[in-house]
Amino acid sequence: MGLTTQNLRLDDTLSQEVTMAVVGAVQTTFSVTVAAGQPEVGRGMVSLVGDVSGVIALVQEGLEGTMTLCMTFETVRDLLPRIVGSSISVTHEMTVDAVGELTNMIFGQIKTQLNGRGYGLKLGIPSVVTGKGHFVSQFHRGSYMIIPFYLDGQLFQVHLALYEGGKDSDSILGSV
Amino acid sequence: MSQLAQLKILIADDHFLVRQFVRNTLQEAKITNIQTAADGNEAIDLIQKAKDVKQPYDIVFLDWNMPTISGLEVLNYFRTRPEYAETAFVMLTAESEQQNIMKAIKAGATSYIIKPVSPGDLSKKLFEIHEWIKRKRQKDHAAQS
Repeated sequence: MGLTTQNLRLDDTLSQEVTMAVVGAVQTTFSVTVAAGQPEVGRGMVSLVGDVSGVIALVQEGLEGTMTLCMTFETVRDLLPRIVGSSISVTHEMTVDAVGELTNMIFGQIKTQLNGRGYGLKLGIPSVVTGKGHFVSQFHRGSYMIIPFYLDGQLFQVHLALYEGGKDSDSILGSV
Repeated sequence: MSQLAQLKILIADDHFLVRQFVRNTLQEAKITNIQTAADGNEAIDLIQKAKDVKQPYDIVFLDWNMPTISGLEVLNYFRTRPEYAETAFVMLTAESEQQNIMKAIKAGATSYIIKPVSPGDLSKKLFEIHEWIKRKRQKDHAAQS
């Protein structure tokens, strides 16, 4: 007998999976300490401001959404010398590459963990958007969750937006 | 120079970050004969050329999702060619679903490493893969004699 599909909600379960995946990926790859802040949930559109963002679409039966990792150039430029060494200048291409790979690792792990518990999530192709001080805005009538992370005093964020077609957005808001 | 340090290794991944991360870890183990490929086509080309000049790679790290040809396709291509049987093909990928792991193992992957991986865990895997290479070569040489 197959697993019953679990409905994805912006709740503690999701925030914990996201936190574990983000902290695990950044700490393991760069040997730094990352702390997660308190998640914030809300309805409708919210804009993130950053310099380099990895965005990936997620779909579950009857539900669609996006997951976004949003960082500043400064944060990525502080991380990269831990891999490439301090004698190499960090290029724009390197920052794009790093955020793209972090996006893959983080959201791939979230999908695997949740699907192992019967969520049946599918992910789209990841995209990386760059531009100093750009806005990432999701145009939808659903709900969102933003989780802040702190790395040596610098902030980066993960944003999740979910929309369940035909239902009030409160139906996918959980408690965090 | 230790046997481990003499290994010839190819890292095939479209992400610079991963290529550099793996290279750093290998260099910590005193391995210096390291080359990289940014896509599946380039990996196939380098693996074949190395074999042609009788200096084959001992280990090939393969990302799953790469431009042109995926790591799984590269693995399938070489595992159907017996002359590459002594090369360890290692999937190093963020694809962590059980069905994909099984697909790669069935296709003949020597090992499957899920990213992110720490330098310490990658080093441990490297020793295991080196042991696999030694056992495989001993077995093959015994079968020939």
